[in-house]
Amino acid sequence: MLSIWTAGLLPGCSETRTYPNTLDKNLHVHTATDSGSWFSRVRAAVDIHHVREDCALDYEGTVQLADRRIDIGLPAHRWKYLVFVFASSSFPANRNGTITYETLLKARPNYHYQVVVQYKDDMYHVGIRETLPTQSTGREIEPLQLSACRSSAGRK
Amino acid sequence: MNRYCVFIMSLSVLVLSGCVSHPQTAEEFRKAVPSAFSAKVETFEVDRPFSQVSSTFQKMGSNCLAKTIKTTSQTNMSYQVIVTTYKPTVVVTGKKAELHVQMHHDQGVVNVSKEPYGGYYLLVADAQPISKTRTRIELYRPSMGHGVLIQAVKNWATGENIGCPDLTK
Repeated sequence: MLSIWTAGLLPGCSETRTYPNTLDKNLHVHTATDSGSWFSRVRAAVDIHHVREDCALDYEGTVQLADRRIDIGLPAHRWKYLVFVFASSSFPANRNGTITYETLLKARPNYHYQVVVQYKDDMYHVGIRETLPTQSTGREIEPLQLSACRSSAGRK
Repeated sequence: MNRYCVFIMSLSVLVLSGCVSHPQTAEEFRKAVPSAFSAKVETFEVDRPFSQVSSTFQKMGSNCLAKTIKTTSQTNMSYQVIVTTYKPTVVVTGKKAELHVQMHHDQGVVNVSKEPYGGYYLLVADAQPISKTRTRIELYRPSMGHGVLIQAVKNWATGENIGCPDLTK
């Protein structure tokens, strides 16, 4: 019984903090989530990590994507590792699961990043488009895995 | 019954029905599926060039399926944690694109038979060109559970509603 109680508490011990969203906003996240059932719920969030030269990650904070549009400020010229988190919970089965979509991103000065975050019918999609303020279309940014940083760092 | 129970049952049926070990390669999996109780072969054609289907398999396979998933289930009397790692492999030759999906339980499930490197084979999708604009898909897949994964692979083939499956479902 004690182990069950302890195990139930442990997930709450993970340190989640709010991202200090103080910079000029250049990442515009448009979120739409629909669990498709009265008996389940899906929440979206993005964890933001700073990427060191050796590709180690420093967790900077989390932004809950609770509103349809959230604006986030990322520093230019710095590699960031964005982890989009979809956390689902269902009841009365009391089942929880988390799935993530990760990408490296280095924001360019004066550019803006339009991010579409969708979850519907148990499928999710994250798309990032880089635009200039004067443009509406821009270019799609393909996800870049952390392994790309490691292989790049290994060559240096 | 959750999908893990279904999967374990499927494994048992696959093993017991043939009195052999679990498929250790994609080719062994293809051969085992037609006679397995809880798996089936599904064949369909899509109005999409082979090159597009294979590039979607490559892109979405690595983006969506190379994941480690943790699910928890809790009742008054139990607390269960299952950690599963999925491994996609895409093999493209001139006239065929293969998507292999394997799964390995890191925690919470006891394996009942010898596991191949990378995990048990869960699904194999073969795409082959019929014409310049049409492609035939052969899907070797579970007949119970994993509906979200199966639907995602079908969508990647048709090019409609392309997204990643929530593998926690």
